[in-house]
Amino acid sequence: MQFVSFGFLVFLPVAVLINFIVPRKYRYIWLFVTSVVFYLSLDLMAFAVLAGTILVNFAGGLLIGRSAFPDKEKGLSEIVTAPDKTADRRSHKGTVLFALLILIDLAALFIFRSGSIIGAIGISFYMLKTIGYLVDVYKGSIRPEKNFVMFALFVSFFPQVVSGPIDRAGNLLPQFVYPVTVDFDRLREGLLQMLWGYILKLVLADRLAIFVGAVFDAPGSYPGTVVFIATVFYTFEIYCDFAGYSNIAIGAAKILGIDVKKNFDVPYLAASIPEFWRRWHISLSSWLRDYVYIPLGGNRKGTARKYLNILIVFAVSGIWHGSGLTFLVWGMLHGFYQVIGYLLKPLRDRGAALFGIERSSFSHRAIKVIVTFMLVNIAWVFFRADSLETALVVLRRSLEFTPWAIFDGSIFAPGLNYRNLCLLAMGLLVMAVVDIFEYRGVDIFGRVIAQGIWLRWLVAIGGVLLVLICGIWGPGYDAASFIYQQF
Amino acid sequence: MVKYKKTLKNIIMSIAFLLVLALCIAASVTVLRRKDSRYKYADFFEKAKADQIDVLFIGSSHVINAINPSVLFDEYGITSYNMGGHGSVMQATYWELKEALQYTKPKCVVVDTFLMQKNYQYLDLMYEDSDESERRSSIQQLHLNMDVWPLNDLKVEAIKDLIYDEDIQKEFLFDFLVYHSRWDELSKNDFEALTGKAEKNPYFGSEMRYGIELTPGFFPDPEEGEMLDDVTVGMFYLKRIIEECQDNDIEVIVTFYPCSATTEDKKAANSAAYICDRMDVPFVDMNDRDIVDMYTDLNDTGHLSVTGSIKVTRYIGGIIAESGDYEDHRDDPAYADWQSGADFFYDEVKDLAVDSDDIYQQLNYLSMGETGAIIYVNDGSEAFVDEEFARLIKNISGTDKFEKTRGPYILISDPGSGAVYEAFGGDLLEGADTAFGRLFYQPVEHMFRILYAEGDEDNNYLYDDGKLDYDIQIITYDRDLGDELSHKYYRSYGGRYER
Repeated sequence: MQFVSFGFLVFLPVAVLINFIVPRKYRYIWLFVTSVVFYLSLDLMAFAVLAGTILVNFAGGLLIGRSAFPDKEKGLSEIVTAPDKTADRRSHKGTVLFALLILIDLAALFIFRSGSIIGAIGISFYMLKTIGYLVDVYKGSIRPEKNFVMFALFVSFFPQVVSGPIDRAGNLLPQFVYPVTVDFDRLREGLLQMLWGYILKLVLADRLAIFVGAVFDAPGSYPGTVVFIATVFYTFEIYCDFAGYSNIAIGAAKILGIDVKKNFDVPYLAASIPEFWRRWHISLSSWLRDYVYIPLGGNRKGTARKYLNILIVFAVSGIWHGSGLTFLVWGMLHGFYQVIGYLLKPLRDRGAALFGIERSSFSHRAIKVIVTFMLVNIAWVFFRADSLETALVVLRRSLEFTPWAIFDGSIFAPGLNYRNLCLLAMGLLVMAVVDIFEYRGVDIFGRVIAQGIWLRWLVAIGGVLLVLICGIWGPGYDAASFIYQQF
Repeated sequence: MVKYKKTLKNIIMSIAFLLVLALCIAASVTVLRRKDSRYKYADFFEKAKADQIDVLFIGSSHVINAINPSVLFDEYGITSYNMGGHGSVMQATYWELKEALQYTKPKCVVVDTFLMQKNYQYLDLMYEDSDESERRSSIQQLHLNMDVWPLNDLKVEAIKDLIYDEDIQKEFLFDFLVYHSRWDELSKNDFEALTGKAEKNPYFGSEMRYGIELTPGFFPDPEEGEMLDDVTVGMFYLKRIIEECQDNDIEVIVTFYPCSATTEDKKAANSAAYICDRMDVPFVDMNDRDIVDMYTDLNDTGHLSVTGSIKVTRYIGGIIAESGDYEDHRDDPAYADWQSGADFFYDEVKDLAVDSDDIYQQLNYLSMGETGAIIYVNDGSEAFVDEEFARLIKNISGTDKFEKTRGPYILISDPGSGAVYEAFGGDLLEGADTAFGRLFYQPVEHMFRILYAEGDEDNNYLYDDGKLDYDIQIITYDRDLGDELSHKYYRSYGGRYER
């Protein structure tokens, strides 16, 4: 049962309805049951890996917690803010245990992700959750969870288990203890967010994927401009795909009474690569920042070390995304972009002063957004290509300027006809408008809900029909085709 | 209290929203559904509801092209519906019959056995060596047969019997799965389905083909009575079809319609004959009988053209009429629709005889006798060495005079009176009585000949200063009123004919 399946459209309303009826203090049990059912429907064997992860880390968390909190202070799921004191009280045994558990988790991550023994769906995501949990417990930032079901739900919460967002125990566990009431407004808002997610995924991402797939499979067969358009399309495809998924996940969690942190914040309007990473896959970026970059020393140990740490973090990010060299190159490119950006900063500052450039002006920011977008676009080519050779062919071809390909029919060769391309263009335009609203802090879903009934219904019914009619689904469609589900 | 009121209001609003949404989705499903199946069977439901169907014709595309219910009605006053399906193997035909019997109980079912040699059960698997395009085509063709039937237990049973893959089964049970993506090819007709005004098949399920196969294939006959080597899935389902009809007290006639039958096809026909003999039902193998002209009545090697269809329908109609007590509905006002359908069809044949793009086709349609015709071929024309041309002329004249001359040649066919007049070489025609008038013909010299009607001697129909280099002329006229309908000039060269 995937998000994009008939089964999920039946499962979710049942889960929501019963969740609404169950007394608040027992809702976490119901949510755990639904999460187990959801995951079992995905893969029976993979459930064994998930269960093992839960058991090992639950027990590990308790044991580490004993060393971090020897005085056994009361309370479950309670966040404390005195890591400095607890750090001193940690036993050597606790540190060894912590290191051992991290190693076990990482080993399990790489073994089961490869699928050579059992392919465990979502392991890259739920394992980062558990590692984060262990680190937080070890550091004394949170108390170890003593309620097994509660912990198991934290790891397996079904809206997040396949592709995130990678949430923190500190955010989720208190909500499981006391989930908020799902009122009519919350229900509508969650459903609207899910609908937007389905539009992004089925109408835009999967339509873009047809064009992108054809070009990346045979980049030498298409004119340069068509290849260039395919690279831009992929940049939008991966955004629509992953943001679509995240919207569905966040919306589903919302109508279950759980607030999940947002994963995207208008990333393609970022004016620099560091800003892009503050807006793209926020749950992973912040996880890498908190659990890799800062422990490595962050920017506290000198400039050279800071640059090295950045490169390490992005290398880790690349490896997390996949074992292929292309992912490492993608990650390293982002690392180098940032290091080079920092190195060139004095030069850029001097240039701006020399030419009197108003850096806060719209025109300057627009240039920066475009440059950032193109840098990200180049890096995505490596992310999408099957091999480095293919990526280089795509990049080389995309530099060949053949604009007539737009007018001589070549643009239709990769599988999208005129009407589909028009639909795509309109869809991307709508997405851009929504993103600009969001960038300016406008709560677009709240605004829609605040409208009169005819407009609300028009938007909702129009959205559902758009997905049903113009969505790419049906025979031959791979419901597990979310790009980030493979990681 | 206020809280409950608000909750109640929210529930009512939610239900109202879901109803409107369901309505919009239902409308979308109707608009987006492929209309082919509804197009073919729209009249079936209407006529079945009025209990006006005497005969059902079932089978493959051979049936679709071979049987025209309009002709059957016009000739015998018997009502029928053509249920044939493109690529319909026997098991698909069986389920088609089962579905149809939910709506009507005909007096007779005529089942064709072409494709009976197919020995696979599932249309999505076919044979091990079938390629993907064949499988796709097989699935698409089944949609034509099945889409129109509503979802019920019988349809589920049928699809499970015909399709192996569960995902593909779903696309037959919930066809929106495949048709939702038709949004980029919608036409006016798709939207007219919402008001029930979408186009429908005017020929009661049949499809007429208007081409002509000039080079049909002829294959060796098998040994006398030689049957297929294996007992095929098709044979099993033929037996089930016959049993189904017998269980429902419906007369069955099994056929094999004319085509360029391969040796394997002929063996399948022998197998069908054997089964029919064992089950005591009549089998009509039309390949064995001189019903159609294989050189003029085929649209392609597998399918009959409109002329072949008329001949075959008239023939099978005779057998049906003799086999049972069928009421002649032609003068019954309740059956006026059927007569309108027949008139529409014959008007179309007439139009094609009057104005075809291709001389072979025009000659072929003229042989149907729906219009009067005057055909003139000048001496020296390459038509005299064209065997196909000669064969078509023979179908109109009924003689082989055209083959024996090098022209000039004239043929006057007057179907209103049934008279045919021919003249060649220096022969004259004096006082040929036709609906066009009392005609006189005289060849004078190569570039000049005379054809006039009594009382209108100044009007020479066969001479036009601007058309001297055209060696063939065809004049058509209304078979009853005698009004001129068309006058075509053709020039023969290199085995081709140019207008």
